[in-house]
Formats: sequence, C-alpha cells, structure tokens
Amino acid sequence: MRRRALGWAFAALAGAAVGVSLLAVALLVLITALQAGPITAMRAVAEAGISLSLRSLEIPGTREALTYVPMAQVAAGSPAASLGMARGDALIAVAGTGVDRPSRAWEAVGRAPGGRSVTLPVVWLPRAEVTLGGLRMESRNGETRVVLASPSAAAREAGLQPGDALLAVGGIPILGTRQAWEALAVAARTHGVPVELVLERESERLTLFWDPTRQAELTFVRDPLRAWWSFLTTLNEPRYPERAGLLPAFLGSVYVVLVMAVVALPLGIAGAVYLEEYAPQNFFTRAMEVLVANLAGIPSAVVGIIGLEVFARALGAGRSVLAGGLTLAVLILPIVIVASREALRTVPRTLREAAFALGATRWETVRHHVLPYAFPAILTGTILSFSRALGEAAPLLFLGAFLFVTYVPQGLMDSFTVVPLQIFEWATRPQDGFAAVAAAAIVVLLSLLLLLNAGAILLRNRLQRRWSE
Amino acid sequence: MAKPLSLAEALRAYTQAPRGRRRREGLARAVLALAGSLSIGITLLIVALFVHGSLPFLRTVPLREFLLGTRWAPIHEPATYGILPLVGATLVTAGIALAVAVPLGLLAAVFLSTYAPAGLRRVLKPALELLAGIPTVVYGFFALRLVTPFLQRFFPSLGFWNGLSAGLVMGIMIIPYMASLSEDVLYAVPRSLWEGAYALGATRFEALVRVVLPAALSGIGAAFILALTRAVGETMIVALAAGRTPTWPPDPTQPLLTLTAAIVNIATGDHEATAFIWSAVFAIGLLLFLTTLVLNTVSYLVIQRFRERYA
Repeated sequence: MRRRALGWAFAALAGAAVGVSLLAVALLVLITALQAGPITAMRAVAEAGISLSLRSLEIPGTREALTYVPMAQVAAGSPAASLGMARGDALIAVAGTGVDRPSRAWEAVGRAPGGRSVTLPVVWLPRAEVTLGGLRMESRNGETRVVLASPSAAAREAGLQPGDALLAVGGIPILGTRQAWEALAVAARTHGVPVELVLERESERLTLFWDPTRQAELTFVRDPLRAWWSFLTTLNEPRYPERAGLLPAFLGSVYVVLVMAVVALPLGIAGAVYLEEYAPQNFFTRAMEVLVANLAGIPSAVVGIIGLEVFARALGAGRSVLAGGLTLAVLILPIVIVASREALRTVPRTLREAAFALGATRWETVRHHVLPYAFPAILTGTILSFSRALGEAAPLLFLGAFLFVTYVPQGLMDSFTVVPLQIFEWATRPQDGFAAVAAAAIVVLLSLLLLLNAGAILLRNRLQRRWSE
Repeated sequence: MAKPLSLAEALRAYTQAPRGRRRREGLARAVLALAGSLSIGITLLIVALFVHGSLPFLRTVPLREFLLGTRWAPIHEPATYGILPLVGATLVTAGIALAVAVPLGLLAAVFLSTYAPAGLRRVLKPALELLAGIPTVVYGFFALRLVTPFLQRFFPSLGFWNGLSAGLVMGIMIIPYMASLSEDVLYAVPRSLWEGAYALGATRFEALVRVVLPAALSGIGAAFILALTRAVGETMIVALAAGRTPTWPPDPTQPLLTLTAAIVNIATGDHEATAFIWSAVFAIGLLLFLTTLVLNTVSYLVIQRFRERYA
C-alpha cells in the first residue's frame, strides 16, 4: 500500500513539473501581452498630435528634483496644433490628472470613461516666450536676478511689467532665464493654478497670483485595431515610443530570413542527402556527423563574431542584409541538416530498392522517389528552422545592433534591423513607454511564430494525407 | 506512331545515355559531398578564425593573468584582462538555470514517457515544443521586466540587473530542451527492462527508480551536459537582464557580466575594427567555442553509445 502511494505521489510530482513549466511561461506571455495594452492610449495621444518627453528640475536648496513633461513634437495640422499647442510647451494635466511623466498622460487617456473617442480637458503651459516673454540676467547690489525684459502679451495681461525681477514661483527660487519657465511648469503641476509668483518691482516685493496655463478640450481616438495596425505599418521614430513602428524591423526580418533560406536550404538538404544516401560509413562521415551536432550547439554569440569577421569584414558585405542572411545560414544549416536527415530516414528501404531494381542510378532514385516521399517532413523541419531564425537576435547584434534603422532596407547591401533586435533595443531603454512597445513587438513576434508553426503542422498533415492516398 | 530508329540513332542512344547518366550521377555525388562537408569546412574556419584572431591577445596578455585574473577592465587604462569574473558570472547564472531546468525537465520527461496517458501526451508534448520555440530575447524581456520586479517585492536589495532572475528564466527556457533530450533517452531504454522489473514484482515507480533510471544514467548525464552548454552559451537573456558589470566574487543578487555578455558588450561598443580589444573578443570566443566543442562532442558520443547499447 505504501509502495503504491509513493508511486502515485511521484507521478503527481512529475505531472506537476510539466504543469508548472507550462503555466509559468503561459503566465509570463499573458502578462507581457497585458503590458502591451498602453500602446492604444499612446497612439491616441500621438494621433492627437503630441509627442512627450521627460525633463527634471532640481529644486534649489533641496536635494529634490521634480519632473515636468515638455511636448517634444506637435504635429503640424493635428488637433493639438489647432488648439495652439506647439513644440516646447509643457503638458500639465490631462483629465484632471497631473502629468509628471509621459506614462501618466497615456494612462489618463487610457482610463478615461467613454467609448472609442473621448474628449478630455487638457491643461498646458505655453513655451517660455509666450508665457513670460524676454528675460535677462541682471546684477543688482551684487545679486544676480532674472528680470523680465520684454513681457509677452500673456504676462502683461497678468499684470507683469518690464523690469520686474522674478524671485520665486510656488516656493521655488528662480535662478535662471530658462529655469524660470521650468519652475513655473513644475509649480503649476504640483501646486495647481493660480501659482504664487513672488517678484520685485522698484525695490518692493509683490506677490501675484497668476494662471499662466491654458486649457482646452482635446479629442482622443482610442482604437486598439488602428493602434496595432499603425504600430505594424509605420516607420520607426526612435525617440518617441508613442510613434514607434515595427515596419523596418519586420521587413528586415523577412529579407534576412529569405536570404538565409536561399543559402541554407539547398546546402542543408544537399548535405543531408549526402550523409544519408551516399556517404560510406567511415571515420570521415562520423566526424562530419559529430561536427554537425556540434555546430548546432555553438553559442550564437560566437556565430555572430563569425558573421561580423567573415561576411561583414573579410567578404566586404558590411553590416548588411546579405551579411545577416549568411550569418543566420551558418546558424540554421546544422538544424536543416538534422531535420532533413530525420525526414530521409523515414523513407522505407523498399522504395529505394524498387527504384534500383528498375535500373535507376542513385541520383535518379533520390531525385524521383526519395526526395518527393520525404518532402513533407523536410518542409516541416525547414519551416521550423525559419521560426528559429526569425527569433534569433544574438548573432545579428554584431551586425546591426544599436544602429537606429528607421527605414526599410531596399537592397541586399542595406543595413537592417530585425524584430528580436528591435525588442532588445526597446527593452533596454529606461524611458516611459518603451517597455509597452517592446511588449507589443513581442506579441507580434510570438503570433508570427505561432502562425508559422501551426502552418508547418497543417502543411505536413495535408501533404502526407495526399501522398498516402 | 513514333518513327522507328535508324541503327545509328539506336547505337548513339545506347552509348550516350548511360554515359550521360553516369556523368550526372558523378556530378550529383560531387555536389552533394561538397554540401555535406561544408559543416567540416565551417568548423575548421571557425577554429582558424578564432585562433588567428586571438593570437595578438594571447601573445600580449600572459595566459596566467587571463585565466586567473580577477579584474576585467578591457577599456580602462591600463587595461586588465582577468577572465575569472566572467567565468564566475557564467557559472552562477548557468548553475541557477540548471538547478531549475534539470529537476523540472527530468520530471517532465519521466511524466511524458511513463505516466501520461496517450491523449494527454499528444497535447503536452507539442505544448512543450512550442515553449522551446520562444525566442531568447523574449525570455530576456521576461527576466528584466517581469521576474526582477516580482522578486524585488520580496528581496528589496535585488539589483535592477541581477544574475538571479536571468538564471531563473534561463532555467525555464531550458526545461523543454532538457525534457525532450531526457525523454529520448528514456525511450531508448528497452521495454524488456521494464518488463523484467514488473515480473519481479516491482511497482512502476520502483521499476523506474531502481532499473530504468540507472540504465539511462549515462544518457541523462549527456542531456545534462547539453543543457549546460546551452546555459553557458545563452546570450540574450544575460545581456538584457544580468547587467554589464564584471564583479568578483560574483553575487547573483547584483549585476554580473557573463562571457557571452562580455562579447556583446565589446562587439556593440564603438571600437575600431583593428583595435586590440577585438582580439579579446576572439580569445573569449575561442574559450567558449572550445568548451562547448568538448562538452558537445562528449555528450554526443555518450548518447550514440547509449543508443547502440540498447539498439
């Protein structure tokens, strides 16, 4: 009885091992897919015309630094531009949420209740020239001060006059001409408007309550389908995750794998045919077998060095699509050989013997009988090696890494990037939004691989069925 | 109806056709043999390339300093090339990975080959194969963006980059590999061994533990070695999640620089093609290549011999 119980306990443990492994990865994939969610809201903000970045301002006298979010780009003709927003303005709040980093704005747009299209109040601080006007540094009684030289229309309206020295805003001392506006942006976000502005006019201290911000309603279109489609089909804008596009990497992947296929498939299948159908059993063949098994086990970083040294430098292909394809071919060749050999081994001996008996030479036998019979299995193995190549990043890191490829390669000698490398590049960037974009690219890559694998299995089943009829 | 052949035409057909076929046969054999020996060519090319490339390095840096030095600072002035921190980091991450992958992979193989009903097996095996198809850069993202933040909830001192989560995720990545290798080995054990054990009154568990696993031990050892080379050669996970700081002694909770990550580090840096630092890349590459060559060859031969013994 105890012996049986022990056996069952072990069986349960072994089953749990499989379950845990599968569940762990499924969970990781699921969470990654969820992390890609924000790209809908990111695209919505980008389509409204706004690209955001992040700056921080050290608060004088403290060790604290507060952040604000400048608009790095406002697209011409966009809804944001028609409201008067422009490059250099600072985004203060969206839908009542203070924006201290770009992700806050995206979250606010993403979370806002409503359907596909939402209209939200947006608060922003126009750039320094519009808000304040011309400033200069002035020395008075041994102290340097920021003096308003030529106030803008908005500043004049608020009661500021030429010659006013700006001392502090919202408790933050004003120390420089650029910093004056930054302090205004930070104060407007942290203390709300109107902000308390301390200034000196004709040796007298004045406190002014002023709302330098502007407010308007901006419509955001949250459309997941459109967001993913434009993510897939636009060129990459490397600085802004909300405008990131996968197109160059995607087409780069396709081109590199095509080059690899043209090189590796004929060579791999031919090599497999030789080893399986022709080669005599001797030391040489055995060594070849060991080396093929070994080639499959070489660290891909080592293959990458070969790619860089042999294809890019010695053969002069440069860091190009051609060099990338050849590098992948070295990596995939042993896989194609092993898969094709296994396929050839499933061909029954009787088929070959029948062909020989009819007077066929070995090549005729292979060409007309063995290869067609093994074709479905070879095809499956080949497609699986494609999916391996599509996911490979390490060997290509040496050929295209950290080149910001923002265009689609046009020819064999163009530089390129591939989807896994783009994921690597995005995953290493600490700025807001790049993790979401990397997660989105992962979703695309995994779907593609899943499709490819399913296609391989489907194709095999269909071809095999036809053959046996 | 076809025109009858003249005697001359028939003669020509008789003498030429076989020669043409023979020539085609010879050509096919030559081309195929060439393709077949390409793998030998590539391997020799790699060896030649790496030996040649690392010669300047091996001439300049004393082997003792290279292999036993504890400071890796190739771009500092003066540069030091002690590889021990890199080896240590590689062993730490690979050790964590194997601690995850070997027990889980082996248990999974045992479950699939002996316990799982056929229907369940038909579902689980492709699912495990699917896991093996996930690109390593994706696992790297898992380690950096999901596992590290999760672990940091429990160990706040864990670095943003660390060897621990890189190793754990690498382990998860290797599970299907280890499982499929060990399953092949378990399948190669003949049924007669099982049946002999059952005949002596053993339960399935006893037959497995006392008879089948010991019989499969050399094959499982080979699978272990293959998993080890996989962990040692893994690049993207460590490059993303383990950081880029060579530390000695290696601490899994802090950033580490493995051998592969060191190669990536230099190769993606902005160095002249002729810079001395490239020869350091070749030296590390040579070390990695030779290690994996030896380990792979040993385990390949062990598995071959294992199959033959029970064939």
